[in-house]
Amino acid sequence: MRRVFAAAGIAVALLRAVSVAQEAPLLPNRPGSLKFAAIGDNGTGDQPQYDVAAQMERWHQRFGFDMVIMLGDNLYGSQQPVDFVQKFERPYKPLLDAGVKFYASLGNHDDQRNDTYTLFNMNGQRYYSFVRSDVRFFVLDTNFLDPLQLVWLERQLASATEPWKIAYFHHPLYSDGGRHGSEVELRVKLEPLFIRYGINLVYSGHDHIYERIKPQHGIYYFVSGAGGQLRPGDLKRSDLTAAGFDRDRSFMLNEIDGTDLYFQVVSRTGQIVDDGVIHRGRVS
Amino acid sequence: MRRAWRFVADHYLVVAIGGALALIWANRDPERYFGFANACAFAVNEIGMALVLAFLAQEVAEASLPGGSLHPFSQAIVPLVGGVGGTVGAALAYFAYLALGDEHILARGWPVSGAADLTVALAVARAIFGRGPAVAVAVIIALTSDVIGLLIISGQHLVAHVHPAAAILVVIGTGVAALLRRRGVVSRAPYVVLGGTLSWFGCYWSGIQPVLSLLPIVPFLRHAPRDLTLRHEDQPEHHTATHFESVFELPAQVIAFLFGLVNVGIGLRGFDTGTWAVAVASLVGRPAGTLMAIMAATLAGLKLPRRTGWKEAIVAALASAPTALYGVLMSVSIFPVGPLLVQTKLSAIATVIGLLPAFAVARLLSVGRFAVGAMRNP
Repeated sequence: MRRVFAAAGIAVALLRAVSVAQEAPLLPNRPGSLKFAAIGDNGTGDQPQYDVAAQMERWHQRFGFDMVIMLGDNLYGSQQPVDFVQKFERPYKPLLDAGVKFYASLGNHDDQRNDTYTLFNMNGQRYYSFVRSDVRFFVLDTNFLDPLQLVWLERQLASATEPWKIAYFHHPLYSDGGRHGSEVELRVKLEPLFIRYGINLVYSGHDHIYERIKPQHGIYYFVSGAGGQLRPGDLKRSDLTAAGFDRDRSFMLNEIDGTDLYFQVVSRTGQIVDDGVIHRGRVS
Repeated sequence: MRRAWRFVADHYLVVAIGGALALIWANRDPERYFGFANACAFAVNEIGMALVLAFLAQEVAEASLPGGSLHPFSQAIVPLVGGVGGTVGAALAYFAYLALGDEHILARGWPVSGAADLTVALAVARAIFGRGPAVAVAVIIALTSDVIGLLIISGQHLVAHVHPAAAILVVIGTGVAALLRRRGVVSRAPYVVLGGTLSWFGCYWSGIQPVLSLLPIVPFLRHAPRDLTLRHEDQPEHHTATHFESVFELPAQVIAFLFGLVNVGIGLRGFDTGTWAVAVASLVGRPAGTLMAIMAATLAGLKLPRRTGWKEAIVAALASAPTALYGVLMSVSIFPVGPLLVQTKLSAIATVIGLLPAFAVARLLSVGRFAVGAMRNP
């Protein structure tokens, strides 16, 4: 009987160790680095969104990211003031209270007037750029990629002097999501600019999965569209796929320290489903 | 061979041929296709299509002359009201569909559903009614909707910088065309090259759809009455050396082919809310709005055109429902490259299936070629 108890005790200890290892931050969490999270297609107001938000808050306590980039479809359905509370302010209240800033891009389900919502930090602009640390973020509106926006983007890219250049928007230029997939028409417009002006990373949503794409022309593409919505089994892996997860909701944690960007993808239950480090110029 | 080409040219089937090639190309090698389409889009959609639209406008202007199919105007009033009703019906259905969801960004695409493909409407009406007066009814319904659509999109040109003062060039271009007419210039090219070029730049810089730029020139071209129900060879005055149609038919057909090739290539997975909204609006809202407007007009004391009854009006309303390539033109005028454009273009093309109900209802109601005792080739 003692042997049985001992074996059980060892098993429990091992399980706990594995669980802790799974939840332990793989990110370096260095002081002074830029730490941010990424969520997409989150604004359902349903329990899974709240679960993801709670998971983000748990990670925030250990990995103090101070900003979240939103990859569009920030609110689904009705978008009255009460919906902003139910689908944004309430689930992310602990993060908002901790001073975390959200920077939104607009998806196809977002009301275009949401660019004036203070907590989205868009300042009334459907596309904009901002600088944090030594990173310039370019936030685009791929619903309506008109010539004016393209001219603006090229000017911004040409004048950007920061070593890191990150673009994010709703519709993915590369995706193996079965429902939508790659937006090739947008890619033909945007990718030449990204290559010419040295964009390092691109984040998008729209497909309700997580996918990391193999680097294309030296640019790293992520699809993170399962921050509230989910299409289970929708990832149709192809030669493009470097990693993916489509069994549960997820969000991304990122840390930029010098020439390295560390990323980690966390599921609704806290499981780390992908991680890695991007050195400006190569990935591992 | 000559007859086959005539059939292809009269029905603008070159667009369908270009479109079919584009669909295959876009779904087999999308990166190269969209690279090609992107490189050609400006030249085809914003320059070339101005000529095609002028070509169509010339045909309509000629059909409105004494002796033409759309003359006299009094016969056109009720179908014209129907055309307005069709646009309103399509718009209401489009917004009603969008109201079921949350993709309100698609709202600006409603003119796509209000458009009617004039070529498809004419071809279907001719196939059903032969030389009957209901052909003109279908054409007027479609034409009215298209004029409304053009007016709506006229100020929605997607350019980076707008210079409203440049609109003066449109006036100068029109003035040049008037001067050429006054001087008795017979050749068609100077009207297009001089007047048209000035007008095009005026539109482009001032934010007006440049595809409309040749329309102010059209009234100054030489016209000959046109019977829309007659074949090309039976209207000899339209292929004289100085007639617009003779001079520009081949370029217009080449551009129409390129329009299909550049715009119809769409990833077939691109369907989404906008696709269904345009389909519902075009195939349900448009005919319903057309018929309700015609009903209201007749209740107000107006009369349907001669030898046109309710049965013919119903079939004419259905024949003018598909938005098809005119819807594609509207889509590319409203939406920039991206998923919303794909959704609406896909649906505009798919509305061609709307010609099937027109034939089915014509058969059910026994009108046109399906009428008891009707000749096989009226």
